[in-house]
Amino acid sequence: MPELLEVRNVVAGYGSGPAILNGADLHVSPGEIQCIIGPNGAGKSTLMKAITGLLPIRSGEIRLMGERIDRLRPDQILQKGIAFVPQERALFPRMSVRENLRMGGYTIRDERELKRRIDDVLHRFPILSERASQHAGTMSGGQQQMLAMARTLIVRPKIVMLDEPSLGLAPMIVQQMFDIMRQLRDSGMTVLLVEQNAVVGLKNADRGTVLDLGRTLFSGPARDILKDPRVRELYLGKAAA
Amino acid sequence: MATELGVSDVLQARKDYNATLASAGRRERATWFPLALLTLLVLLPALQITGGHNYTLHLVLYAMMYAAMASSWNILGGYTGYISLGHNVFFCIGGYVSGMILAYFGITSLITAPLAGLTAAVVGFAVGLITLKMRGPTFIISSIALLMVARILFDHWQFVGGSNGVTLPQMDIPAQWAKLPYYYGMMVVCALTVWASYRIKHSKFGLGLRAISQDEVKAESAGIDTRFYKVLAFAISAFFVGMAGAIWGEYITYLRPNIFLIILVAANMVLMCILGGKGTVAGPIVGAVVLIAFNELSVTFFGASEINLLITGLVMVLALKFFPAGIVGTLARKRRLPRVLDWD
Repeated sequence: MPELLEVRNVVAGYGSGPAILNGADLHVSPGEIQCIIGPNGAGKSTLMKAITGLLPIRSGEIRLMGERIDRLRPDQILQKGIAFVPQERALFPRMSVRENLRMGGYTIRDERELKRRIDDVLHRFPILSERASQHAGTMSGGQQQMLAMARTLIVRPKIVMLDEPSLGLAPMIVQQMFDIMRQLRDSGMTVLLVEQNAVVGLKNADRGTVLDLGRTLFSGPARDILKDPRVRELYLGKAAA
Repeated sequence: MATELGVSDVLQARKDYNATLASAGRRERATWFPLALLTLLVLLPALQITGGHNYTLHLVLYAMMYAAMASSWNILGGYTGYISLGHNVFFCIGGYVSGMILAYFGITSLITAPLAGLTAAVVGFAVGLITLKMRGPTFIISSIALLMVARILFDHWQFVGGSNGVTLPQMDIPAQWAKLPYYYGMMVVCALTVWASYRIKHSKFGLGLRAISQDEVKAESAGIDTRFYKVLAFAISAFFVGMAGAIWGEYITYLRPNIFLIILVAANMVLMCILGGKGTVAGPIVGAVVLIAFNELSVTFFGASEINLLITGLVMVLALKFFPAGIVGTLARKRRLPRVLDWD
């Protein structure tokens, strides 16, 4: 299967500081859930920022369906089909669910088309549909995370990237989040996520990539990575047992 | 000791709580109320048939003027989150543009008010291009600076009469009916402003403005041209304040910088908006009515002294203690807002 997203030998860092990514590689195939794991400071979130154009890369290349995107602005990358849900979710707390969804599709000029897409997304997330007029800031963390995901879907991206989607959520809600990701995958979308909780992330993913010190150490089917004794010893600990 | 609750009780309690939150924004609007209010305002001058209600009409006209200006200020200060303390500059520009046309060409401000508003909007656009690069306290200071510059300019500009100002010709109407043209003129300006404020709040442009007020960086990353939006909001806001200034100038029959360009006028717009509920549609109107009512009461009880300023301050302190988001804003948050005031 041809790669949807390719990251090759990327070096990136913040300002004139040391490089956080030191030759990171990543291969994402269409229609899969891929989970990036690694210890704190491995460069997982930095890799996400590099892909979405929020952090310029120093060398290497990033390609989406063969086309280089590493010199594009974040809004151009979004238009190419890569949507990003950052850790802090980036919602507007004093806006309703529907208004937050409208913000997700602000660049869509055709109001009828935008409404159609919002209705489509609300159909996919019934919990949000029930709360369409509720302010985002009054919802629980899990519901806000769902809204953040739903908002990215308005632009109908090829890849949805999520940075630590389980952060601060109850285990039951985390499972719901992964159920939604599987639904997205089953509808043909590709999901790339960074997860601190490596076991949960890999158990729910098709493919895994292990990042350490800004380099890619392992990559392969998530189940194989979960079983790999080196990965278990270095990153998963007793939880994987 | 923990309360003994079954799983179904907990689930039901959660469901009820969620239903309450979800239903918060689904209230039906009482659209009849603003229309009834407008009808009442249209019919109010009929009181003059019996005569002797000039002061009542003056007071209502004054309240409508401030309701219009506070609603207009709300487009920038409430929706966009940029606090301007120099908005009376546009009130002055409107007053002078229409006033000078009246003085030189004899055309009433009731006709030239849109032109006056447009002039204020153009100036607002130009000023906004410069000052809206700043944010927070820096922007507030820049708006006060604008007011000071305008005051110096108008005080020394002899073409418009300098600090002595200009006396305007009056309409040849019997005293009993003399206020009516301006009353209706101001009513139209007020109704237009409130309608525009409502339409903007519910438009895509308004959504963009509200996004800017919550987080400008997030708004920009959502694809909003934040600079253009802010400047446009500033210009629209200036337009309606300018129209109110045009009508007011002719109504009081003279133009003088110390009528238009004192900070109290700008402060009133801001205070009324904050008192009523910044960012709500009905809030500025409620704020204008409450502040003017307290002002009048203090004048009635304590005479025409500066004690009304003290009363205004006291009203603000007490109101914001009990209504931190303004009267309409706080009641809406507590879900106790009467339906007739839910214009959002």
